[in-house]
Amino acid sequence: MKEKWYENIGRNLFEPDRSITPGELIFFKLFELFVAGYTIRFVWEWALYTQIRNVEVVLPLGIANYLDVSIFFTHHLSLILAGITTILIFFCFLRTGPKWLYMVVLLLFHLLYVIRFSQGEIPHSQNLIGMSVFCFAIGAWFFPGKERMPRFVLGSIIFFIGLGYTSAFFSKLIGTGIHWFDGRHLWLWISEKSIDILSREGIYEPNFLQQLALKSTSVASIILLFGWFTELIGFTMWWKKLRPYTTALLIGMHFGITLVMNIRFDAFVIQLFLVGFPWYLLIDRFVKSTPAKFEKWI
Amino acid sequence: MRMNHLESKRGMKIIGVILIMYAALVASHEGEFWPFSIYPMFSQAGNPWTRAMVLDVTNVPDDELWNRTPLEQKPGNAVPVGQFGVDQIDFSNFVSKTDEWTTARLDAMHIMFGAQNIAHHRWMVSKVHGRMVGTDSVTVEIQPLILLTEEGSILNPHIR
Repeated sequence: MKEKWYENIGRNLFEPDRSITPGELIFFKLFELFVAGYTIRFVWEWALYTQIRNVEVVLPLGIANYLDVSIFFTHHLSLILAGITTILIFFCFLRTGPKWLYMVVLLLFHLLYVIRFSQGEIPHSQNLIGMSVFCFAIGAWFFPGKERMPRFVLGSIIFFIGLGYTSAFFSKLIGTGIHWFDGRHLWLWISEKSIDILSREGIYEPNFLQQLALKSTSVASIILLFGWFTELIGFTMWWKKLRPYTTALLIGMHFGITLVMNIRFDAFVIQLFLVGFPWYLLIDRFVKSTPAKFEKWI
Repeated sequence: MRMNHLESKRGMKIIGVILIMYAALVASHEGEFWPFSIYPMFSQAGNPWTRAMVLDVTNVPDDELWNRTPLEQKPGNAVPVGQFGVDQIDFSNFVSKTDEWTTARLDAMHIMFGAQNIAHHRWMVSKVHGRMVGTDSVTVEIQPLILLTEEGSILNPHIR
């Protein structure tokens, strides 16, 4: 019987023909540790900032459209939420508690995001960690066990990363049009970011790539076109054979954005580096089995 | 149970359901329902922008305090807001998105930087406007907005 298109994508994401290996289980647990670590870091950063700075809701996001989140600005409530999230994610990591516990962590994570970022700015640098917690929540609920959960979680994360980049391409095409990559647009962004740096640090000097882009519209246009094209092909990560190449291009694009626009994406880039390449093969060279106790945590 | 072909198919069906939910949530919330997003950053290119910065205008004569100037001729050094624990992005949003400068908002600006930090200086909270001019250049202009001194804050008298 001929394979349907979505079955083909599923086969590339979840690899049903491949047996589970010790390396895969170890990598999965280390990746979960990475996601849990960043989640804990973000919730505490947001809670502390909220506690010190937030006074009024300037921009309600997500659930804040239906709930006045300013109630969490006082009485240490944001810190209490961060504390609960930390404890719950610890239980999730050890697979103690109900299957839907990760979903509660996701809801608290969302709540803390909308509490912290109710001040007008909508950052996206924490979205990949958020999507990962979401995929862990779905995986733990619908695909529990060491045979299925690692496959679903990593496969679905790769699916949403690819979708996100391609979506960003279309947002630009719709928001501006086909001339989005006009190099002069980059000049405006470089000048805008330079003010932020000048204001934050008191000093700003354009680096080599910025000077190059500012000197020539063509160079600036090529930089934008490379980034835009890379976003367009983001979805090709869904196919196992193309994944390492697409990932390498995306990581290159992020380094380019850091150099040209001074925007850093640490969590994004580390996560791309982790999920875009088959690291389990490397671990399998050194490890032949995993203890039963460890497998309980998967 | 193994991740077999049947489970793989079920996985794609669940992703399909999530996609419908994802689309419904972002469509009804202007593209953002964290962690779901259409990732619209930098989607609108070529638009003029407004940011904010603080300049040390201690040595600027009173009759020149409120003059607009190009960035290249800024009247004093930039005050590094990061050193005072102020988040540049939030500060910039606060300045550029406030339409009416009430006494409470002016006080909030003074508290943000702190009288002890301002001390004997005079600091000018300024809006910075950038836009394309002609076909081959970007101009950046500084618009003085709020004068901060140890005693308090004064709004630009030309802005009412």
